[in-house]
Amino acid sequence: MIQYAAIILFVLGLYGLFTNRNVIKMIVSLNIMELGLNIFIISIGFTYDGVAPIITSSNGVGSIFVDPLPQALVLTAIVIGVGTTALGLAFAKSIYKKYNTFELGEVEEEL
Amino acid sequence: MSAILLVAVPLLAAFIAILVKKFASYILLVVVLFNIILLATLPDGFVIIGGFNQPLGITLLLDTYSRIALILINVLILVIAYLNIKKYGNYANILLITVAGLNGLVLTNDLFNFFVFLEISGISAYLITTSNKKPASTFHYLVLGVVGSSLFLFGVIILYSMFGTLNMVDMIHKIQASNNYKELILPFLFMFIGLGVEAKLLPFNSWVRGVLGKSNTMSGPIFASVYAAAIAFVLGRFITNLFMFEGSLLVLVTVLLAFGIILGDVMAFSSTKTREILMYSSIAQASIIALLFVNGVVIWAVYLIIANALSKTVLFLVINKANDDVGSDEISKLKGLFSNNVIVGIAFTLSALSVMGLPLLVGFVIKINFLTELARNNQVWLIAVILIASIIEGIYFVRMLVKLWYKENNTINVKYNISFKIVFVVIALALLTFGTYSTPLKQLDNQIDTVMEVVNNG
Repeated sequence: MIQYAAIILFVLGLYGLFTNRNVIKMIVSLNIMELGLNIFIISIGFTYDGVAPIITSSNGVGSIFVDPLPQALVLTAIVIGVGTTALGLAFAKSIYKKYNTFELGEVEEEL
Repeated sequence: MSAILLVAVPLLAAFIAILVKKFASYILLVVVLFNIILLATLPDGFVIIGGFNQPLGITLLLDTYSRIALILINVLILVIAYLNIKKYGNYANILLITVAGLNGLVLTNDLFNFFVFLEISGISAYLITTSNKKPASTFHYLVLGVVGSSLFLFGVIILYSMFGTLNMVDMIHKIQASNNYKELILPFLFMFIGLGVEAKLLPFNSWVRGVLGKSNTMSGPIFASVYAAAIAFVLGRFITNLFMFEGSLLVLVTVLLAFGIILGDVMAFSSTKTREILMYSSIAQASIIALLFVNGVVIWAVYLIIANALSKTVLFLVINKANDDVGSDEISKLKGLFSNNVIVGIAFTLSALSVMGLPLLVGFVIKINFLTELARNNQVWLIAVILIASIIEGIYFVRMLVKLWYKENNTINVKYNISFKIVFVVIALALLTFGTYSTPLKQLDNQIDTVMEVVNNG
């Protein structure tokens, strides 16, 4: 079920990207899309009744663990997402500095 | 010495270069030179990272295929960085990250690790485009790049949920065992689109116009040669070993690529700007290369990547330098460019004729061989598409060359310094040499990519 929510978020982000021409709104859409993707990744590792994959005195051999790999992957994906968002905001700043607007439609530059 | 140094040393050097900015350009040259020497000495095989054996840990695969790709990438970056050392010296840190990202991209055998390198090289690519001083185009590229890599990651995660592995060799094993291609169409399509954005394949390449169409002596050759070659190599590896398109997906991809070839050349034909002509020609060439990989013509696709990267380095360097000095890249404004620069003109002409595939140049040898291979596969329609595209290509290149050679009343003064000329002459001679003496090209065959051999023999 959670995977449907993730896919809806991903598609919502994509829709926002292709319908908005405002740089800041596009960055927000990009983040919504990445959020959807991250939730999808984490949902892959979910196991019903599973516990954190750490062996303790109560959880040992025979316990059901969730898959730890997607958690590691999503951590990396989040870091990369933050990096690209920061870069996107830096570009947004230089667009504003050069053209005095955040609207790509008003920018006199052939895309 | 291990292949991991090809990634680790440039990354470390990039951080050191921030501390000693004055010497950043020299650090870049030394590191790339180190990589080239290292590549000549390293043995083929897998490099296991962190002591975790396959398929648990990340592994790097160095074989003839990746070695060719890495040598090409590093040599081209060395040449382009050296030629731009004065003007774009402050981009040395970013180029070091590019080296690390692209080397990792070619070497890695792990799909998630591949995504990470795709992002590293992507972020450095966005930063390189800032040298064009067109922030809106850079932003447009960032958006498309992030959507592409997100789709690629989506595909990888779906594959992981199906097969429980991220190791490419292990995944191919499991895909072969499952023998159900229908379930793989969605993840493969996502991954193909993700790579298609970076590989400039139509219709995912709307960023190219704002980036390559406005490029300079650094960003032009870096995108048209280095990035194009690296992404073409990895796309080839994915198509040949993992995707192995079949059924409706094969039809869809073939039609998309065939349209890409024709549309790229038609758009180049209708353009009056030199940079745009070269850019659209690159799009058509990228589609031809992908099409060859789809049809299993690996070795000639590899040679086409190399020849294309070398030719496009000369073409973009010549045109971007002329654009810097004249202030326009319109063919009408560059009339007679070569009347005062005969050596540059000859090198440019030979490179353009090689891209067209004229006899005596390496482009002809490659074209005749891959057309023969396609004929053997009974791909008559694809041969027709490529030949029609070649005719269009021939017309716009000859039209451009004639205008660039014959001057009218205006005189154009573009000064190419000696290092530029040496690079042009060496590349032109290489294109001519392998065009007339093609025996060395026939020493390698489609088996240079060893992933399937590893899958089959362990």
